[in-house]
Order: sequence, then structure tokens, then C-alpha cells
Amino acid sequence: MSLGSYLASLLPIDLAQGLGVTGRFFFMRKATIQYPDVKPVPKPRFRGMFGFNEERCIVCHNCAKACPIAIIHIRDHFEEIEVDGKKKKKKVLDRFDIDVKRCMFCGLCEEACPTEPVAIWLTTMSYEMAAYERNERLYYDKERLQNWDGVQPYPGVVSPEAGQLPNDPTGGKAAKPEERR
Amino acid sequence: MSHPELLEPFPDSEEMEISFGPQHPATHGVLRVQLRLDGERIVDAQPVIGYLHRGTEKIFERETYNGAIPHTDRLDYTAAATANQGLVGAVEKMMGVTVPPRAAYIRMMLAELQRIASHIIWLGTHALDIGAQSPFFYTFEEREKILDLFEEYCGARLTLNSMRVGGLPFDLPEGWTERCRTFIDQLPARIAEWERLLTKNRIWRLRTVGIGVISIADAVEWGLTGPPLRGSGLRWDIRKVFPYDRYDEIDFEIPTGEHGDTYDRYLVRMEEMRQSVRIIRQCLDALPDGPVMAKVPKVIRPPLGEAYFSVEGPKGELGYYVVADGSTNPYRLHVRPSCFINLQALPELVRGHLVADLIAVIGTLDIVLGEIDR
Amino acid sequence: MANPWIAYLVVPFVKIVVILLVLILVAAYLSFFERKILAYMQIRVGPNRVWPRGWLQPIADALKLFVKEIVIPARAERLVYLLGPVIMIIPALVVFSVIPFAPEGTFFGLLKQPIAPYLTDVNIGILFLLGVSSVGVYGVILGGWASNNKFSLMGGLRSAAQLVSYEVPMGFSVVAVLLMANSLSLVKIVEAQKNAGVWYFLPGFVAAFIYFACGVAETNRNPFDLPEAESELVAGFHTEYSGMNFAFYFLAEYANMVVISAVTTVLFFGGWLRPFPNVAALAFLDVIPPFVWFALKVGFFLYCYIWFRGTFPRYRFDQLMALGWKVFLPVSLVNLLVIGLGVLLIGGPR
Repeated sequence: MSLGSYLASLLPIDLAQGLGVTGRFFFMRKATIQYPDVKPVPKPRFRGMFGFNEERCIVCHNCAKACPIAIIHIRDHFEEIEVDGKKKKKKVLDRFDIDVKRCMFCGLCEEACPTEPVAIWLTTMSYEMAAYERNERLYYDKERLQNWDGVQPYPGVVSPEAGQLPNDPTGGKAAKPEERR
Repeated sequence: MSHPELLEPFPDSEEMEISFGPQHPATHGVLRVQLRLDGERIVDAQPVIGYLHRGTEKIFERETYNGAIPHTDRLDYTAAATANQGLVGAVEKMMGVTVPPRAAYIRMMLAELQRIASHIIWLGTHALDIGAQSPFFYTFEEREKILDLFEEYCGARLTLNSMRVGGLPFDLPEGWTERCRTFIDQLPARIAEWERLLTKNRIWRLRTVGIGVISIADAVEWGLTGPPLRGSGLRWDIRKVFPYDRYDEIDFEIPTGEHGDTYDRYLVRMEEMRQSVRIIRQCLDALPDGPVMAKVPKVIRPPLGEAYFSVEGPKGELGYYVVADGSTNPYRLHVRPSCFINLQALPELVRGHLVADLIAVIGTLDIVLGEIDR
Repeated sequence: MANPWIAYLVVPFVKIVVILLVLILVAAYLSFFERKILAYMQIRVGPNRVWPRGWLQPIADALKLFVKEIVIPARAERLVYLLGPVIMIIPALVVFSVIPFAPEGTFFGLLKQPIAPYLTDVNIGILFLLGVSSVGVYGVILGGWASNNKFSLMGGLRSAAQLVSYEVPMGFSVVAVLLMANSLSLVKIVEAQKNAGVWYFLPGFVAAFIYFACGVAETNRNPFDLPEAESELVAGFHTEYSGMNFAFYFLAEYANMVVISAVTTVLFFGGWLRPFPNVAALAFLDVIPPFVWFALKVGFFLYCYIWFRGTFPRYRFDQLMALGWKVFLPVSLVNLLVIGLGVLLIGGPR
């Protein structure tokens, strides 16, 4: 190292530049969100807790087949009913269980559902489903999927029992995105 | 997990054999490095992996092609979009499907955003290992914005599941292009800020210049790809050499380094972030209208055959080799993991350095154990 | 004072108690401020939950460390293991007996006779300070060695080598000040700066910078904190420590930080003096009492410590030693020559 560059290296200009950057950040706005007083806002397409509507479901098993890890367990049986004097066979849903603790929230079940609007959806913007008992509370059957027992819904989101539509998890009741946050 | 073969020590030497990891804050995951030290100099370092093995390639054999995509998210969990792109590209190549132009442009945008996000993780953790704590937070602030963009598009931030065979599952939401443009307009100023903290900093240069040097010939022989190869000087990028997804219509440059040391790889990755901004801007300007899904059957059943397709992931060449047997599930789906092959060169890079340099080299190789262990 | 019992027993005792209390509170709250300031530099908010808005966090930490079990490793050398932190914290606290916080005064007229707000004014003050603070190195070595952990030993030895090497340029910087002040007593050094009319920082900025940088190295802080870095092979010499034992090491490090900041202030930045103490135009600044000036300056240096930690990467150990011996030492020697020549040309120390 030549004498000139040695002397130049004695002046810590590069270090001072770095100090300037952090010094400036000291006075800037902070990015912390004070959870749980303030909750982060998910976007409308956020894949969160399941919504399930038994009335719309036609028991086609598409969601169970599409699920990569096979956590949707469906049991049904045929019943004979009278419609307009003719005997018809109708599928009745016995069990529609989802093992949420294994779910990876990929959304393939929602994509596979053929009804319009879909009978199973993930765009509920709710992500607080934590429980103290793993196997009892994170295994949702038909009733719990619809009344959302054990789930803390995102503010404004109504439970599926209230007949909400997918992709509008608040059932038309929430503020527009511009008015939020 | 038996001990790997280390170099035989000289008799009467005072060499110490230490296991570095797997639980260690600096190894970026569960990596164990079996070190043989002479005092503080590293004589040999063999990485021991497998602590995160989940049998992904076996899982692929029982999944449908679209159902395998969420599993690719979890390979390199810091770069899910490029992993998705590789798999769907391989299946499309086998089936001979061309995605519509709008889908190709959106895929390129997602991949480049993902490249920036992955390099952000690399920069934050690399700087943190070397001792600078603040760049970690500054870079992750920007990554939050990228993850917000991803969340608006496909609903998830990390494990995106954002592509399907034949195109994309859904179109961009309203306002996404404006928000993306706002983001990339302010990103170069942020990158300049991070550079002001590190690039000319004498302590940073002392820790990274001349550390982990590898020549072009050695790099090619070890099979390195991505920034480790480009840092040595070879201008090899899959996006230019075997272009996919309309990269040939976009104008961008491949940065390379000169000396093949850690500092050059750092400069290469910083420049790659800027080039990604350039690519995204061109995609936004030229985004065509149209469908986002090609005409593929609902149930994907490729004909008998095999294909290999690779994408330029942020860590290197990520390849997928798929063998189809005519059914809905692949017969074999093998992943060419970029990090795994880059990690193999670790003994070559650290021999003769000190233990503190081992951490710098692991950081510069930018490894993610999800991809290494699958 | 009339009554020798009061003058020689009660007053020093009260002073000792006040100084120790303030010092330990400052060291504890320094940990809180470090977390907050680092957080603010890193776009986040530090601890803000412990009532109110985080200000009781150090008390919570102290309580936690107090009730934690002191885990002594199986084959560790018990007595030395327990004594290590003690040997490190005692010099840090003892040094404060000679540091002057303010000139003799009557505390806003509350007291009948003026008392000096420092414990004592030894006429070899700076020598005493340098000697006593060097004893702290033993705490590091013995603590690392007695843990019966080869990595702690390695960390301890490295740390000790670093501490000892950086004391040499530090000493030369101090000698530069002594040349200008012509006295070893800390109070007289401050008064010499008042006579000279300028803080010694201005003629001796190289010495000030080297002193502070070596001080950062002395306290094992970033960018010289390789021996205790988390992303290295181990956590250094205090790996095996937990509970109150660890709290002492922790407190000792922060107390050392305060010592270095205080000594830098006294030697180079005028101690309790306001800027340009003899310039009449700035006399309106005298409304701020001297110990507030002292506190502000010490606070600024502590902020610098934390600022460095938030900004710089850390040196590798061999680079650290090279920096100490090959850069700081020659520069401080040359600086000493220059200042000596300067003092000679001015006609003797003022």
C-alpha cells in the first residue's frame, strides 16, 4: 500500500457515510405494527381460514381430489326423495371435515369447486385460528366450518352461516379498500 | 448420518475437528459443516445435509401436476415464484403448450420481483452474519412491499402457488400495475442507500475482498451456476442462453464480476437487483392484453415422454426433469437444486481461510436448505 | 469542615452511595436505550410493552436475571467461575471515584459550604484510572478459562489479547493530553482546558478519535466485538454464564462503556465546561449547569457507541489486531510527536 493510500485510509469517509445512513433512519417513520392492538390488514385475495356453505355444495368431491395433501374428508350417502311425483336420488352430505392443522392454504380446493359461487373458499381474510388443543380444535367438521367456532374473524368478516359470498368476505358490509387503514 | 471423509491429517498435527451447526444462527438453516481446523485456519470443511429432507421428490410422484406446484413453493422458500415457473415450464414443454403473451409477461414480472425479494434476504442475512445489523431491517422493509404485491395477486406472501400449467390461475387485480410501478420507481434509491452502507465501507471490504475465491474453470468444473459463477466472470444466464417466457423480447444485461471473490458476488447480486427493476419496468410498459390461461384440459395428462426445463432462479439454475407415463401423476420429477450444487464447492472456497470467513462464504453462496435437502 | 467525622466519613460515604446508585441505574438504562436507539435506527420500535411504553424494561430484565438459576458447568472451577464477573465489574465501578462530574459548588446554594461533586481528586488521577481499568481484563480471562469450555477459553483469550493490545494506542493518546495539560489529575485537566479556552478536542482531534476508537475496542463493542459475536463459533467468554453472574458481565460491559465515554469527555471535551468557556459572547450558555453539560457529552458518546453498533460490520480477529498495532499505534505516536512540537512552539503547556 502506498503512502498516499495509507494516509487516505486514515480518513474514515466511507464509515462516516454509513453513519449518515443509519443516523437518518433514526428520525424516520417506524414500520412496527403494534399487534394485537392493531392488526395487519390482509389483501382481499388473502388465503386464510376456510369458508364453507353446505347449501351450495353439490358433493362432487372435486375439492377433496384437488387437495395435494388430502385433508378434506367427505362422506355422503344417497337418499330417495319425491320430486314431482318421481323418485329421485339425492346426495346428502354426512361429513365434510377439514384437517386444518395440515392445511397449507394453497387454494387448489377453491379453484376446483365448480359451483357458482363456490361452496368452499379461502378468501376470508381471517388468519387467527390458533388453538391450545391441536387435534380437537384444529379439526373442523361441517358445523364448525360454518359457525367458525374457535376462529377469530378479521374485523368486519361475518361467518359463513350468514351466507356470505366468496371474495367479499365481509358480506358487503365492510368499508372500501381506500377507506381502510 | 456418518461423518464424511475429511482429508487425512498429518501425523503429530494439532488439528481440531469441530462440527459447525446444525443449530447455528449463521448457517441459514439446518446445515452442518464438519470442520477440520489447524489453529484457526480451515484445513477442510465438508457440509453435512439432510436435516430438512422431506421426501419432496417422492411426494411429487403421487401428486397431480397442478397439485405439485404448492410443493415447489417449499423447495426454495425464499424464491417460490421461480420454483413454480420451473415446474410449469417443464410440464408445458412436455405437452408442447405455449402460454399466452399476457401470462408470459406476468410470469416474468413475478419472477423478477421474486428475484429482488430473494436477493434482499441474501443481503440482509449476509450483512448480519458479517456484523452489520441494520441493513437487515432496511432491506426487509422493501421486501414487505414485494410480499404485499404478491399477496394482492395470489393471496399468499411466501408460498405463492401462483402459476398453473398453461398460464396463471387468475389475472392481476385492479391497480396492481400502478402499485408495482410505484414500488420499482423508489427501489433504486433504496438500493443506493444499502450500497452507501456497505459497498465502500472498509470493514466490509476487508471481510469480503479476496475471501472465497474461485476461478472460472474451477467454477464450471464444480457446476456452479448463478451469482457464484457470474462472480467469477462467466456471463452465463439461462434467461439469455436458453430464453423462456419471452425473455428474449426484454432488454437487460447480465452483470459479472472479475475476481470471483465474495465482494464480486455481492456486487453482482446488487446489480442483478437493478437489472430486475429494468425488466419489470419493460414488462409493465409492454404488458399485452388477453387471456392468462392457454387451452389446456382440466385434468392434465401429458403424453408419454420426458423433459428437462430450467429457469434462472435467484440462486442459480433451477431445473426440473419430469418423466410422464401418460397418467395424471408424474412417474418421476427430479429437481436440479441450484443451492445443493453450489454448496458442494464449499470446501474449495474456504480451504486456508479462517473460521470467520466460513460464515462469509456460506452467506455468499446464498444457500437455502429447503432446496438443498428437498 | 469543622467536624472530621462528617468531612472524612459521612460525606464520602454519601458520595459513594450516590455515585454507585446513579452508575448502576445508568448502566441498566443504557441497555434499554441501546435497544431503543438501535431499534429506531432499524425502522422499528424497541421494547415498548413494559409500563409505561417500555421504560421499566431494565427493571424487568434485572428481576428476571436475579431469579434465574446460576448454572455452574460440571467440571468448572467453581470459585474462579463465580469470581470472574466480579473481577470485571469492580474496576469499572472503582474508576468512577476519580472522574469529576462538576466543579466545586454549592448545589444551587442549598449547602452552606461548597463540596466537590466527585469523590476524590487524586493527583495521579489518569494513571490510577488506566491502571485500575486494566485489571478488568483478568475478569475476562478467568471467566473464559474457568468455564471448562474450550470455546469460552478461545473467546476469552482473544478478548484479552484485544483488550491488552488496544491499551497501548489509548495510552499514547492520553499522553498527548497530558502534554497539553501538564497534570495527571483529572480535575486539573479540565481546569487546564478552561484556562486554554478551548476543549482539547480541537488541537488533539486525532488523539480524541484514536482514544474513542480504542475505547470501543476496549469494551468489546461493535465493530470490534468478534469475541462475543453471536454469529461466530460461540458466544465468547460468557457462554456458560446465566442468572446474576451473567448480569454482572452485562453490567460490567455497560459500565465500561460509561467509563470510556466519561473519560473521553473529561480528557478531550472539557468535562463540565461549556463550548469555548472563555468567550464572553457565549455566556448565555452558562444557564445550563455544569453537570448537565457533562451528562450531555457523556450521553453523546454513549449514543456514538450505539450508533457504531447499528452501522458497522465487524472486523475479523486478525484484522482487528492488525488495525490496533499497524494503524492506531503509529498514528498515535506521530500525533504525540506533533502535539509535543506544538506545545513546545506555543511555549509550554497552558
